[in-house]
Amino acid sequence: MQARRYDSKTTIFSPEGRLYQVEYAMEAIGHAGTCLGILANDGVILAAERRNTNKLLDDVFLSDKIYKIDEDVACCVAGITSDANVLTNELRAVAQRHTLMFGEPIPCEQLVMRLCDIKQAYTQYGGKRPFGVSILYMGWDTRYGYQLYQSDPSGNYSGWKATCIGNSSAAAVSILKQEYKVGETDLHEALLLALKVMSKTLDMTKLNAEKLELATLVRKDDKTVITVLPVEEVTKLIKEHEVREADAEAAKQEGSSKKSDS
Amino acid sequence: MALQALHGVDYHCKKANGLEDDENVYLGNMSNQCQLYMPPLSKAESQVGEFLVDECGRKIKLNFAHGTTTLGFKFNGGVVMAVDSRATSGQYIGSNNVKKVIEINPYLLGTMAGGAADCTYWERVLAKQCRLYELRNRERISVAAASKLLANMVYQYKGYGLSMGVMIAGWDKKGPGLYYVDNDGNRMPGNSFSVGSGSIYAYGVLDSGYRWDLSDTEAQELGRRAIYHATFRDAYSGGVVRVYHIKKDGWVKISEQDCKALHYKYAEETKTA
Amino acid sequence: MTLQCLIGAKFNDFVLMATDMSHLQSIMVQKGDDDKMYKMSSNLVMAVSGEPGDTTQFAEYIAKNIQLYKMRNGYELAPSAAVHFTRHTLATHLRSREPYFVNLLMGGYDTNTNTTELHYMDYLAASVPVKYYAFGYGGMFTLSIMDKEYRPDLNQDQAYELLKKCTSEIKRRFLVNLPKFRVRIISKDGIKDLPHIVAEGEPA
Repeated sequence: MQARRYDSKTTIFSPEGRLYQVEYAMEAIGHAGTCLGILANDGVILAAERRNTNKLLDDVFLSDKIYKIDEDVACCVAGITSDANVLTNELRAVAQRHTLMFGEPIPCEQLVMRLCDIKQAYTQYGGKRPFGVSILYMGWDTRYGYQLYQSDPSGNYSGWKATCIGNSSAAAVSILKQEYKVGETDLHEALLLALKVMSKTLDMTKLNAEKLELATLVRKDDKTVITVLPVEEVTKLIKEHEVREADAEAAKQEGSSKKSDS
Repeated sequence: MALQALHGVDYHCKKANGLEDDENVYLGNMSNQCQLYMPPLSKAESQVGEFLVDECGRKIKLNFAHGTTTLGFKFNGGVVMAVDSRATSGQYIGSNNVKKVIEINPYLLGTMAGGAADCTYWERVLAKQCRLYELRNRERISVAAASKLLANMVYQYKGYGLSMGVMIAGWDKKGPGLYYVDNDGNRMPGNSFSVGSGSIYAYGVLDSGYRWDLSDTEAQELGRRAIYHATFRDAYSGGVVRVYHIKKDGWVKISEQDCKALHYKYAEETKTA
Repeated sequence: MTLQCLIGAKFNDFVLMATDMSHLQSIMVQKGDDDKMYKMSSNLVMAVSGEPGDTTQFAEYIAKNIQLYKMRNGYELAPSAAVHFTRHTLATHLRSREPYFVNLLMGGYDTNTNTTELHYMDYLAASVPVKYYAFGYGGMFTLSIMDKEYRPDLNQDQAYELLKKCTSEIKRRFLVNLPKFRVRIISKDGIKDLPHIVAEGEPA
């Protein structure tokens, strides 16, 4: 009830010093499909949950959650898809403007920063609604190599080794915190870790390649290669993941039975 | 920029274009000195300086001959500035009593060569800016900063027909300072400069007599002598020879002597010597 | 073509830049210790000639923007990117109401790739990477010497001697008095001043 008076305009602080519209926007993302990113030694990966799986849907798009921004940057979005389209368009324009100015691809952090300037503006100028979108960016540049960033509707951004946005992201992040091995994760391990987290957090009994999108970014022969994994490959990975889980389960069973034996 | 826009400050140098609001346009520079009214030509900015045509159809350049001699030099004891006082318009002497040293404030002097109006106007604007700087920052502006203010203001009007070649001299934290600024947008520090049609003559005397360790009186006399010889050879220079000396605690006016009187004085000296 | 003279040459691990120290106004040498080189970043130098006024304004504008980039991002713009930015700015102004009339040489050392760079750029915003170049009438006297004697593997002393040869030819054959040259070297250690060259050479 209290909030009512202060939530109709984004530019107005509530007496407790909060910006309700911005918080609501963050809330919106909490219901969106899960996206997660993991930084590996030899690349970066993004994984996204696909929700629109209707067999009648024409698959004109390569993927609907992962966007290529520039030669060395891709991102995945959680939130209102139409807002996301506006922002990814802007990201692409920002990247191209930088290339036009300086003749080199835009460094990752600068790209994120530029977009966050725009996002921030929509939390301050009157009559505007914030973008209901959080974004995960994976990229590579000459300065800092492989990078993973996250940005949210308030215009904040941060760099991560592994993180998650969207539905049940808090649970996912805590799993990542436990399972991610700093400096020991290669691309393949990262993909499997992503599947593990996804399988635990998504409300699906069994992982399904149709409902997952996986993308990798690696450097090959001095060029960045961004790949959205084809369904067959995702299926293969899921298989591997399930085998591994089963093994772990078996080992655990054995361990616990031994324990009970002794 | 954003902050400026937020505060509703309309950035200066809006070049007025024509007839909209005459009063505002003509008197615009009263409220903002960098908002000059442009001549009523279709393409004012590209035609200034070349629209006057003489009786034979030749273009008259709106570039005033620098009919002047001014000089300034730094030495051990500060800065000496010396100038003549003749203003010419074409073939005629307009005045022999012009003050070509502009007293910007007690620590800063400017000289004037080129268009008298341009020099007086912009150096007055500079004086205002310098005073504002003092009030805002609670310290005097440096010579470098003052000269840069002027150079930047004048550069905004590059190609619009301004004509000025000035020296800005003063004393600041770094000691004596001397800068040359002109309407091309040049701005440079230096130990000695001379500007105007008589400058070639003045340089002759100045360069041959110049040493860093001149005494105060020697330096003042060197400046005076250089201007006198320029008034002797250059028809566009003459009148009174004024000498200023800038020391640690500001400028002092040293002398104002008629160049004719100086001529006979120097002639007498050579005779007796 | 201008009376001012800018010379630049790129070698395997350093770039040498030399500019004359005379500031000329109509028939006079107004200043004998002019500096036509501007420091863009810790390892990039721009030498400028052209319309008086425009030269300083343009060079300072670019320099300040490159500094701004460094302050915003915490690292410096690579020389090649800085050159691209300069060319972009010059090209945008070229078709505006107030174009900058400047010719420039940009010499730098890229600390990421450990390479030297030298770029030619004229007032029409044509930008070309070059091994060596010289602007102005003075440049015409020196280019043939460079063509003959330049080798990328010259050491610092040899390169300095090569510059000396060029400047003495200017002194010998060029009608305008350009007696002194300011010399700077750009290498992995940044920008350093070398002793001025006071040109030797009798008129022919």
